[in-house]
Amino acid sequence: MTRALNLLGLVWLALVLVFLYAPILVMAAMSLNDSQFYALPFEFSTQWYEKLAENREILAAAWRSIWIACVVTAIATLLGTMAALALNRSAFPGKRLLQALLFPPIAIPWLITGTAMLVFFFGIGLGRGTPAVILGHVALALPYVIVTVTARLASFDPALAEAARSLGARPLTVATRITLPHIAPGVIAGALFAFAVSFDQFVVSYFLSEPGDTTLPVLIYTAIRKGFTPEINAISTLIILVSMAVMLLAARKSNFGGNR
Amino acid sequence: MPTLAQKEGLRAGLMLAPAYLWLTVAVFLPLSAMAFFSFLSDMPLSGADWHLTAANYAEFFSTPTYALLLWKSLKLAALVTALCVLIGFPCAWVLAKTIRGRSREALFLLVILPFWSNSLVRIFSWAIVLRGNGVLDRAVNAVLPWDVDVNLMFSPAAVTIGLVHSYVPYVILTCYLALQAIDDSLIEAARSLGAPRRTILVRLILPLSAPGLIAGAVLVFVPVVGSFMEPRLLGGRTGTYYGTVIEDQFVAVFNWPLGAALSFILLAVVLLVLAAASPALRKAAP
Amino acid sequence: MAEVRVEALTKTYGAAKALDDVTLAFPDGGFFGLLGPSGSGKTTLLRAIAGFVTPDRGRVLIGGQPVENVAVEDREIGMVFQSYALFPNMTVAENVAFGLEVRRVPQPDRARRVAEALDLVQLGALAARKPHQLSGGQRQRVAMARAIVTRPRVLLLDEPLSALDKALRVEMQVELKRIQREVGITTIFVTHDQEEALVLSDHIGILKDGRLIRHGPPRQVYNDPQDAFTARFLGEANLLSGTPEGQGLRLADGTLIPGLTRPILALRPEHLTLSATTPETPLRLRARLRQKIFAGAMGTCLLDWQGQTIKATGRDADFAALDEGQEVWIGWAPDRMIALAGD
Repeated sequence: MTRALNLLGLVWLALVLVFLYAPILVMAAMSLNDSQFYALPFEFSTQWYEKLAENREILAAAWRSIWIACVVTAIATLLGTMAALALNRSAFPGKRLLQALLFPPIAIPWLITGTAMLVFFFGIGLGRGTPAVILGHVALALPYVIVTVTARLASFDPALAEAARSLGARPLTVATRITLPHIAPGVIAGALFAFAVSFDQFVVSYFLSEPGDTTLPVLIYTAIRKGFTPEINAISTLIILVSMAVMLLAARKSNFGGNR
Repeated sequence: MPTLAQKEGLRAGLMLAPAYLWLTVAVFLPLSAMAFFSFLSDMPLSGADWHLTAANYAEFFSTPTYALLLWKSLKLAALVTALCVLIGFPCAWVLAKTIRGRSREALFLLVILPFWSNSLVRIFSWAIVLRGNGVLDRAVNAVLPWDVDVNLMFSPAAVTIGLVHSYVPYVILTCYLALQAIDDSLIEAARSLGAPRRTILVRLILPLSAPGLIAGAVLVFVPVVGSFMEPRLLGGRTGTYYGTVIEDQFVAVFNWPLGAALSFILLAVVLLVLAAASPALRKAAP
Repeated sequence: MAEVRVEALTKTYGAAKALDDVTLAFPDGGFFGLLGPSGSGKTTLLRAIAGFVTPDRGRVLIGGQPVENVAVEDREIGMVFQSYALFPNMTVAENVAFGLEVRRVPQPDRARRVAEALDLVQLGALAARKPHQLSGGQRQRVAMARAIVTRPRVLLLDEPLSALDKALRVEMQVELKRIQREVGITTIFVTHDQEEALVLSDHIGILKDGRLIRHGPPRQVYNDPQDAFTARFLGEANLLSGTPEGQGLRLADGTLIPGLTRPILALRPEHLTLSATTPETPLRLRARLRQKIFAGAMGTCLLDWQGQTIKATGRDADFAALDEGQEVWIGWAPDRMIALAGD
């Protein structure tokens, strides 16, 4: 009985995995298909990738996305790590509140947050454009960085910091020579999450970027709505591969659901 | 001469300030600004005369369309959430309890990876699969002896499939974490006391994993209620939902005050749902 | 080297008083043991001296100077933690050198002093190892070396031997004493193990529920506990209460103990002799031998007397003739009696 149920469970898992990966694989396959209209039979061709390499618009948007993601990663990782270190002290007044405040950016639908940002940035004269996008992305990435670094800090023995202090080390020395080496994997994982959040971000970018000066996901969206060419396929396949690779790295570093 | 405690407090404050200042400027102030805007008759920047009014909110209640669309979005969210839980919980169970060792971590990663890739692109990939003459159509026709035109594109079904695909890994993740936390020895104790499988499931496993389950469900429900990208891409003309209407106000109609008001009504609904589930969310949080 | 003093130290956590008006002087260059059960406040007191705990009231003075506004890193202390807290990403030598690095001691001096410290704890050969490659005893010694290499004014030890197994612990107790004698730093250490406290301390302080109950040289505190708690905690004395009657104490079973004017008679287990025949002296009790416990060279007997358990220890040979369940006589010498006041 148990064995049958176990088998059933494994079959279910396999089916779900097929469900999750099938469309992605189809898309990847189509990007290597010669036909412009997804007509079968399948003829191998790299022409869409070649056309992609010449498509200035897509390349510009890709570059902008990467650049923005790098800036966002740097800012969010720095700010987030500092905040996580400060939050790591045992209970102090307001700690609960501060921890609760990290939820809204993640829990509130990005539609609401994105439109609110649009409205507010216009109100203060910032308007749309790359600075606004960076402003928005960092806010979305911060909670992820803080949560990831905090999780790693939980395994940090406070006696180590106390020992360093008893030996005369100032707070900065303790942080750089004792704490940081231990939490480095968490910081790196947080940085990778921040990169992924920014690079894959659609909704907030959609509202905050200037038409013509967009990020890659927004470009793909508008291109799809207009009627797509298989170059979109090619770039989409590339993006999926990149973001999955980044997340794989992040998971390795933060050791998802397991322990070191 | 500040005391030690004061100096330490100052240092902690300085380390917290930048991050939370950023969040204030980018999230909390905008949300407040939007509350303010929702009570305006016109955008102040367009040069038009503006005054405070509750007309935008009134419009929600007076025009049945909005309420109907909100209801449509809520139903969609409920359906997607239910499907995600039904599909995802057994997966999480298999991963947490049946599979052991290295393969477990690898399979888990495999399941989670798509979730972290670009959601827009994943929806796009479904557009390719589902369209007429697309892969699904061909595959079904290859199997069945008679001619079938399988064009699921631009239908509520397509939207549902796309959303489930996007969010089921999330439910698997939260359920997996919750199930993994259940000590094996608890189940062994129940078995040694003679409990049959069903009893163990209903009286031990479901209650213990409930917080994780509810947390996962809520964090699927909330984004789906406000979704607009998936309905637009996969739903076509049938893809009008509450989220798309809000989007319209901002990028097409440019009636920002109305958009703000509609957004806030959505926010109120979301906060209600989150508040109702908060005991479970608090228990599920690490 | 400095004298340490705490005055009227009080610390409350919520409803519980971790430290209740503790005043104590720790002599310069001495080895002071803080002893007490869990929750007695001994660790809180140690951490208050270190600076990790800020008292609600009272003062800590190191070398005569109050240190309320002096941060931990500026107090010039050395501390050994219960878990040793060795930095996992550094070698033994780097761990020991850390305090010197922070003080900007130049390289040749640093290397020399690290080598000296490691020699002192007899770990010179392991300088290049990482903490996870060391045994418990070796880690303990590295922690000691790291704490003393900076020549602190005060050395604070938080249950330094509790993580070691018995044989190693005894060995390390001797080592610890030797090192402290050689280096001469004022040392304060915390333990819940009374034997350890007696072995190591020049001076001992007993804490209970945040209050300082008794302090003094170990022999003095042991032989003259002055209160029931200390008598029990240090040496597991048997406490027999009775009513004073004239010049003696009338115990519950009617025995009159002459010469005792206070209500509680404390007798240490090692001072009791058991026999089947009636002793000549009036200092005797009739009890039933409930259980004989064999523990190698020494043995313990548990006796029932008036609803109370009396403990007697001695060489196993001393109890050989007696059987469990037998009625026996307990006797003791008159100078071994400890008279205590009631609560």
